[in-house]
Amino acid sequence: MRMTDRELRELCTCYFDAIERRDVDAVAELYAPGFSFWVNLTGAESSREQNLVTLREGYALLRRRCYDDRRIETFETGFVARYSVNVVQHNGKRASLQACIVAQCKDGRITHIDEYLDSSKFRRPPAGES
Amino acid sequence: MTDGEIRELCNRFFDAYQDRRIDALAEIYAPDCSVWHNVFGRETTGAENLAALPKSYEGQRRRSYDDRTINTFEGGFVIQYTLAGVQHNGHRGALWICIVGLCRDGKITRIDEYMDSSKFAAWAGAGRKGREA
Repeated sequence: MRMTDRELRELCTCYFDAIERRDVDAVAELYAPGFSFWVNLTGAESSREQNLVTLREGYALLRRRCYDDRRIETFETGFVARYSVNVVQHNGKRASLQACIVAQCKDGRITHIDEYLDSSKFRRPPAGES
Repeated sequence: MTDGEIRELCNRFFDAYQDRRIDALAEIYAPDCSVWHNVFGRETTGAENLAALPKSYEGQRRRSYDDRTINTFEGGFVIQYTLAGVQHNGHRGALWICIVGLCRDGKITRIDEYMDSSKFAAWAGAGRKGREA
Protein backbone atom coordinates (compact mmCIF):
# COMPACT_ATOMS: atom_id res chain seq x y z
CA MET A 1 0.00 0.00 0.00
CA ARG A 2 1.22 3.49 -0.82
CA MET A 3 2.65 5.42 2.12
CA THR A 4 1.13 8.80 2.86
CA ASP A 5 2.99 12.10 2.90
CA ARG A 6 2.87 12.11 6.70
CA GLU A 7 4.13 8.53 6.99
CA LEU A 8 7.04 9.27 4.65
CA ARG A 9 7.97 12.42 6.57
CA GLU A 10 7.83 10.56 9.88
CA LEU A 11 10.00 7.75 8.48
CA CYS A 12 12.55 10.28 7.24
CA THR A 13 12.66 12.09 10.59
CA CYS A 14 12.94 8.81 12.53
CA TYR A 15 15.84 7.82 10.28
CA PHE A 16 17.88 10.96 10.87
CA ASP A 17 17.03 11.03 14.58
CA ALA A 18 18.21 7.42 14.97
CA ILE A 19 21.49 8.08 13.16
CA GLU A 20 22.04 11.22 15.21
CA ARG A 21 21.60 9.45 18.57
CA ARG A 22 23.76 6.53 17.35
CA ASP A 23 20.92 4.03 17.64
CA VAL A 24 22.00 1.59 14.94
CA ASP A 25 19.40 -0.96 16.08
CA ALA A 26 16.67 1.60 15.36
CA VAL A 27 18.21 2.36 11.96
CA ALA A 28 18.22 -1.38 11.19
CA GLU A 29 14.50 -1.52 11.98
CA LEU A 30 13.86 1.25 9.44
CA TYR A 31 15.71 -0.56 6.65
CA ALA A 32 13.77 -3.11 4.61
CA PRO A 33 15.42 -6.55 4.40
CA GLY A 34 16.61 -5.94 0.84
CA PHE A 35 17.79 -2.39 1.57
CA SER A 36 20.65 -0.98 -0.53
CA PHE A 37 22.68 2.21 -0.18
CA TRP A 38 24.43 4.11 -2.99
CA VAL A 39 26.66 7.15 -2.59
CA ASN A 40 27.97 9.49 -5.27
CA LEU A 41 31.47 9.43 -3.76
CA THR A 42 32.14 5.87 -4.90
CA GLY A 43 29.30 5.05 -7.26
CA ALA A 44 29.10 1.73 -5.43
CA GLU A 45 26.06 0.18 -3.80
CA SER A 46 26.28 -1.44 -0.38
CA SER A 47 23.90 -3.82 1.35
CA ARG A 48 21.86 -3.27 4.51
CA GLU A 49 24.45 -5.10 6.63
CA GLN A 50 27.39 -3.28 5.07
CA ASN A 51 25.74 0.08 5.67
CA LEU A 52 25.02 -0.71 9.31
CA VAL A 53 28.68 -1.71 9.85
CA THR A 54 29.80 1.55 8.20
CA LEU A 55 27.49 3.50 10.52
CA ARG A 56 28.86 1.79 13.65
CA GLU A 57 32.46 2.32 12.58
CA GLY A 58 31.80 5.93 11.62
CA TYR A 59 30.63 6.83 15.12
CA ALA A 60 34.08 6.09 16.56
CA LEU A 61 35.59 8.79 14.36
CA LEU A 62 33.55 11.68 15.78
CA ARG A 63 32.46 13.05 19.12
CA ARG A 64 29.12 14.23 17.78
CA ARG A 65 27.21 14.32 14.50
CA CYS A 66 24.00 16.32 13.95
CA TYR A 67 21.63 16.39 11.00
CA ASP A 68 20.28 19.92 10.95
CA ASP A 69 18.26 22.19 8.66
CA ARG A 70 16.28 19.24 7.34
CA ARG A 71 14.11 20.08 4.37
CA ILE A 72 11.97 17.11 3.44
CA GLU A 73 9.85 16.68 0.33
CA THR A 74 7.85 13.55 -0.34
CA PHE A 75 6.88 11.93 -3.62
CA GLU A 76 4.83 8.88 -4.51
CA THR A 77 7.41 6.27 -3.52
CA GLY A 78 9.72 8.06 -1.13
CA PHE A 79 11.33 11.29 -0.03
CA VAL A 80 14.16 13.68 -0.72
CA ALA A 81 15.87 15.29 2.26
CA ARG A 82 18.32 18.19 2.08
CA TYR A 83 20.27 18.79 5.26
CA SER A 84 23.43 19.99 6.96
CA VAL A 85 25.72 17.50 8.66
CA ASN A 86 27.46 19.23 11.55
CA VAL A 87 30.19 17.25 13.25
CA VAL A 88 32.45 17.74 16.24
CA GLN A 89 35.71 15.83 16.04
CA HIS A 90 37.47 14.33 19.07
CA ASN A 91 39.90 17.25 19.08
CA GLY A 92 36.97 19.67 19.30
CA LYS A 93 37.17 20.92 15.74
CA ARG A 94 33.90 21.41 13.96
CA ALA A 95 33.04 20.73 10.35
CA SER A 96 29.91 21.07 8.27
CA LEU A 97 28.69 19.94 4.89
CA GLN A 98 25.49 20.10 2.91
CA ALA A 99 24.08 16.82 1.66
CA CYS A 100 21.01 15.33 0.07
CA ILE A 101 19.48 11.87 0.09
CA VAL A 102 16.78 10.45 -2.14
CA ALA A 103 15.05 7.49 -0.47
CA GLN A 104 12.67 4.88 -1.82
CA CYS A 105 10.23 3.51 0.74
CA LYS A 106 7.73 0.70 0.99
CA ASP A 107 5.46 -0.62 3.76
CA GLY A 108 6.88 1.72 6.37
CA ARG A 109 10.53 1.02 5.65
CA ILE A 110 13.31 2.40 3.50
CA THR A 111 14.26 0.14 0.60
CA HIS A 112 17.00 2.23 -1.04
CA ILE A 113 18.97 5.42 -0.41
CA ASP A 114 20.99 7.49 -2.88
CA GLU A 115 23.27 9.95 -1.08
CA TYR A 116 24.88 13.02 -2.68
CA LEU A 117 27.59 15.01 -0.94
CA ASP A 118 30.88 16.78 -1.58
CA SER A 119 33.83 14.83 -0.17
CA SER A 120 36.11 17.88 -0.35
CA LYS A 121 34.22 19.26 2.66
CA PHE A 122 35.30 16.40 4.93
CA ARG A 123 38.67 17.91 5.76
CA ARG A 124 37.82 21.58 5.49
CA PRO A 125 36.98 23.48 8.71
CA PRO A 126 34.13 26.00 8.52
CA ALA A 127 35.00 29.65 7.87
CA GLY A 128 36.54 31.38 10.87
CA GLU A 129 38.05 28.22 12.36
CA SER A 130 41.62 27.04 12.12
CA MET B 1 1.50 22.56 -11.37
CA THR B 2 0.62 18.93 -12.12
CA ASP B 3 3.02 16.01 -12.02
CA GLY B 4 3.06 16.00 -15.82
CA GLU B 5 3.75 19.72 -16.07
CA ILE B 6 6.60 19.54 -13.57
CA ARG B 7 8.19 16.55 -15.34
CA GLU B 8 7.89 18.29 -18.70
CA LEU B 9 9.48 21.45 -17.26
CA CYS B 10 12.32 19.42 -15.75
CA ASN B 11 13.05 17.68 -19.05
CA ARG B 12 12.86 20.95 -20.99
CA PHE B 13 15.35 22.44 -18.56
CA PHE B 14 17.88 19.63 -19.02
CA ASP B 15 17.35 19.45 -22.79
CA ALA B 16 18.04 23.19 -23.02
CA TYR B 17 21.15 22.86 -20.86
CA GLN B 18 22.37 20.00 -23.04
CA ASP B 19 21.67 21.84 -26.29
CA ARG B 20 23.31 25.04 -24.98
CA ARG B 21 20.06 26.93 -25.48
CA ILE B 22 20.64 29.81 -23.08
CA ASP B 23 17.64 31.64 -24.55
CA ALA B 24 15.41 28.69 -23.69
CA LEU B 25 16.86 28.51 -20.18
CA ALA B 26 16.12 32.19 -19.67
CA GLU B 27 12.48 31.41 -20.44
CA ILE B 28 12.45 28.55 -17.95
CA TYR B 29 13.94 30.49 -15.02
CA ALA B 30 11.48 32.64 -13.08
CA PRO B 31 12.61 36.28 -12.72
CA ASP B 32 13.46 35.65 -9.06
CA CYS B 33 15.14 32.29 -9.65
CA SER B 34 18.10 31.41 -7.42
CA VAL B 35 20.68 28.68 -7.90
CA TRP B 36 22.63 27.11 -5.02
CA HIS B 37 25.48 24.60 -5.21
CA ASN B 38 26.71 22.40 -2.35
CA VAL B 39 30.26 22.64 -3.72
CA PHE B 40 30.49 26.42 -3.41
CA GLY B 41 27.95 26.83 -0.61
CA ARG B 42 26.61 30.02 -2.11
CA GLU B 43 23.58 31.20 -4.00
CA THR B 44 23.55 32.98 -7.34
CA THR B 45 20.69 34.52 -9.27
CA GLY B 46 19.29 32.90 -12.37
CA ALA B 47 20.76 35.75 -14.43
CA GLU B 48 24.23 35.17 -12.95
CA ASN B 49 23.90 31.48 -13.68
CA LEU B 50 23.01 32.13 -17.32
CA ALA B 51 25.82 34.69 -17.71
CA ALA B 52 28.36 32.07 -16.62
CA LEU B 53 27.16 29.43 -19.08
CA PRO B 54 28.95 30.48 -22.32
CA LYS B 55 32.37 30.21 -20.64
CA SER B 56 31.33 27.01 -18.92
CA TYR B 57 30.31 25.45 -22.25
CA GLU B 58 33.72 26.29 -23.75
CA GLY B 59 35.27 23.63 -21.53
CA GLN B 60 33.73 20.65 -23.32
CA ARG B 61 33.00 19.51 -26.83
CA ARG B 62 29.73 18.00 -25.67
CA ARG B 63 27.70 17.45 -22.52
CA SER B 64 24.71 15.23 -22.08
CA TYR B 65 22.41 14.79 -19.12
CA ASP B 66 21.70 11.09 -19.04
CA ASP B 67 20.01 8.47 -16.87
CA ARG B 68 17.48 11.00 -15.64
CA THR B 69 15.40 9.76 -12.72
CA ILE B 70 12.72 12.30 -11.92
CA ASN B 71 10.35 12.34 -8.97
CA THR B 72 7.91 15.17 -8.44
CA PHE B 73 6.47 16.61 -5.24
CA GLU B 74 4.12 19.46 -4.57
CA GLY B 75 5.88 22.52 -5.93
CA GLY B 76 8.90 20.89 -7.48
CA PHE B 77 11.02 17.94 -8.52
CA VAL B 78 14.11 15.98 -7.59
CA ILE B 79 16.20 14.67 -10.44
CA GLN B 80 19.14 12.28 -10.26
CA TYR B 81 21.27 12.07 -13.37
CA THR B 82 24.63 11.42 -14.95
CA LEU B 83 26.42 14.39 -16.49
CA ALA B 84 28.46 12.89 -19.32
CA GLY B 85 31.08 15.15 -20.88
CA VAL B 86 33.40 14.89 -23.87
CA GLN B 87 36.38 17.19 -23.53
CA HIS B 88 38.05 18.83 -26.53
CA ASN B 89 40.82 16.22 -26.41
CA GLY B 90 38.25 13.45 -26.58
CA HIS B 91 38.43 12.50 -22.91
CA ARG B 92 35.11 11.27 -21.59
CA GLY B 93 33.99 11.66 -18.01
CA ALA B 94 30.85 11.41 -15.94
CA LEU B 95 29.54 12.97 -12.74
CA TRP B 96 26.60 11.82 -10.62
CA ILE B 97 24.47 14.76 -9.63
CA CYS B 98 21.19 15.42 -7.87
CA ILE B 99 19.12 18.57 -8.23
CA VAL B 100 16.10 19.67 -6.26
CA GLY B 101 14.08 22.18 -8.27
CA LEU B 102 11.24 24.34 -6.99
CA CYS B 103 8.65 25.44 -9.55
CA ARG B 104 5.82 27.94 -9.83
CA ASP B 105 3.56 28.96 -12.72
CA GLY B 106 5.47 26.88 -15.26
CA LYS B 107 8.92 28.18 -14.31
CA ILE B 108 11.77 27.17 -12.02
CA THR B 109 12.18 29.42 -8.99
CA ARG B 110 15.06 27.67 -7.22
CA ILE B 111 17.69 25.02 -7.86
CA ASP B 112 19.78 23.22 -5.24
CA GLU B 113 22.55 21.16 -6.81
CA TYR B 114 24.48 18.38 -5.05
CA MET B 115 27.65 16.82 -6.45
CA ASP B 116 31.14 15.69 -5.41
CA SER B 117 33.85 18.16 -6.41
CA SER B 118 36.59 15.55 -5.93
CA LYS B 119 35.38 14.02 -9.22
CA PHE B 120 35.96 17.21 -11.22
CA ALA B 121 39.59 16.46 -12.17
CA ALA B 122 38.78 12.98 -13.45
CA TRP B 123 35.72 14.32 -15.28
CA ALA B 124 37.81 16.95 -17.06
CA GLY B 125 40.65 14.54 -17.71
CA ALA B 126 43.10 16.82 -15.92
CA GLY B 127 46.67 16.07 -16.89
CA ARG B 128 45.66 13.87 -19.81
CA LYS B 129 46.55 14.50 -23.41
CA GLY B 130 45.05 12.94 -26.48
CA ARG B 131 42.04 10.73 -26.93
CA GLU B 132 40.95 8.26 -24.31
CA ALA B 133 40.25 4.72 -25.35
